[in-house]
Amino acid sequence: MKIAVCVKHAVDEAELKIGPGGSPLLAGAAGKMSTFDKNAVEEGLRLKAAHQGEVVVFMVGGTESKKTLKEALAMGADRGVLVTADTVAIDALRTATMLAAAMKRSGPFDVVICSEGASDTYTGQVPPMVGELLGIPYVGYARKIEIDGKAAKIERSLEDSVESVEAAVPFATSVVSEINDPRYPTLIQIMQASKKPVEELNGEEIAPAGSRRGVEVLSMSSQPTARKHVMIDGSPDEAAAKLLDALSKEGVLK
Amino acid sequence: MSGQVWVYSESEPVANEVATAAAAVAQGASAEVRMVDIGSVRPATRGSGGRLLLKGPAGHEVSPAVAAEALARAAKDLAPLAVLLGATRDGREVASRLAAKLGIGCMAEVAGLASDGQGMTGERNVFAGKVVAKVRCQFPAVATVKVGAYPKAAAQPGESQEKDVGPVSDQTKTVGREKKPAGAVDLRSAKVIVSAGRGVKKKEDLAILAELATAMRGALGCSRPLSADLGWLPEEHHIGLTGVTVKPDLYLAVGISGQLQHVAGMKDSKVVASINTDKDAPIFQASDYGIVGDLYQVIPALERALAARR
Repeated sequence: MKIAVCVKHAVDEAELKIGPGGSPLLAGAAGKMSTFDKNAVEEGLRLKAAHQGEVVVFMVGGTESKKTLKEALAMGADRGVLVTADTVAIDALRTATMLAAAMKRSGPFDVVICSEGASDTYTGQVPPMVGELLGIPYVGYARKIEIDGKAAKIERSLEDSVESVEAAVPFATSVVSEINDPRYPTLIQIMQASKKPVEELNGEEIAPAGSRRGVEVLSMSSQPTARKHVMIDGSPDEAAAKLLDALSKEGVLK
Repeated sequence: MSGQVWVYSESEPVANEVATAAAAVAQGASAEVRMVDIGSVRPATRGSGGRLLLKGPAGHEVSPAVAAEALARAAKDLAPLAVLLGATRDGREVASRLAAKLGIGCMAEVAGLASDGQGMTGERNVFAGKVVAKVRCQFPAVATVKVGAYPKAAAQPGESQEKDVGPVSDQTKTVGREKKPAGAVDLRSAKVIVSAGRGVKKKEDLAILAELATAMRGALGCSRPLSADLGWLPEEHHIGLTGVTVKPDLYLAVGISGQLQHVAGMKDSKVVASINTDKDAPIFQASDYGIVGDLYQVIPALERALAARR
């Protein structure tokens, strides 16, 4: 079974600094593998363990993002494909177009796995777009995937319901984080990851952007929510009484 | 003939919110709003303008794949300026597929929509809600509208239009659907939420928080580790970026450290109070009232104080 997993080198939102004017300092900001992508890699590895084959990790990013690809390789993926592009200036459809083009070059794949959304931008658009562009069935928000031969049974976790969906291999999917517990690579795996092959493709060469503009970011500003930050002291009973007084005054106590 | 702004959501209440956003876009673009139904008319959808029925797909149950294909076929012929959907899980899929089919931009989970006539702008949270990005997309464009960001549109009469898009087949088959427990539904409409984090030492102790929630006529939520890692509560209770987004009058965070991904799901709460043993816990930065203390002492004290007042 050939399994493609998409990962993103995301901005580490906890480390992101805000400049004096309120705009985020994205140049040189710390990055990490998008939190939920670990579940996508884990699911790829789980399927490989059950069905044999290989796990290929795809990523659109700059050279600084290679450590995320390495992390996926350390977790156990067999090889990586880095599609180089300036990720700040592109929208989801552009990213998906480059991922799909890269997959077509080294495919076809039986299963394409993404996470439900990137931890930094969280549009959740790339997974269905990749499925659409590859022209294969797509089932999003999977919390359980079972494959038997060419038939897949997937549980989709929606807001208020869980759907059971049948699809035929090949298919694309996005997984929610409750689907599995991602493994931590061992030191040996981390060292071995550097020896695994990583192919570099130029995004503009494999999928020319043309004149398409897509979604543009006009501005970004930090929006700290105005909170009162009142610290209440005293014994538990005193603090509890003071808190209830304050909440009554706010009119939020039912 | 003026342009059109289409509204589609698989959820009727959400469609009526999206209609309000669409009216703002239509006003800026001198366009008309069309509430789109696929397969059959849904009488409950009100919306602020005319209706467009896409005939061809059968039945009431329209999967995201079928909805996207029907919308794409109709859009190729009727050339709407914009198609707006709800940022539900299904809505995100329909919007993404539609944008990919048409090769146009798709703004994700936006609020504050407006149009300058040539395109539309909107605002969205990025970096787990730490930053708001203003985004723009030239017409024709697709967008998903943040759920809960707009009031539901009032019913308005308008022109009805029909378009036959032909039969649409689905590559996948939905063979079952089960309602999740009511947790998620309760949380989204709850006025008071008591939310549990890693400070709770064992699963059984959640009972004290559930009791407090009941005493406050509220619902019980939790941070991601409790549902995703420990499995102490069903996923429907998880408040955060990938869980439920809530905006109660009162959010009481108990033993929650306050990771950005959690705060992203509750930062629109009217008043936030938190209890944590660590005075440096980031949750206090996101709170109006903070108590540095042991939840196993403070929660019973709160229950006693509440009982004394009633």
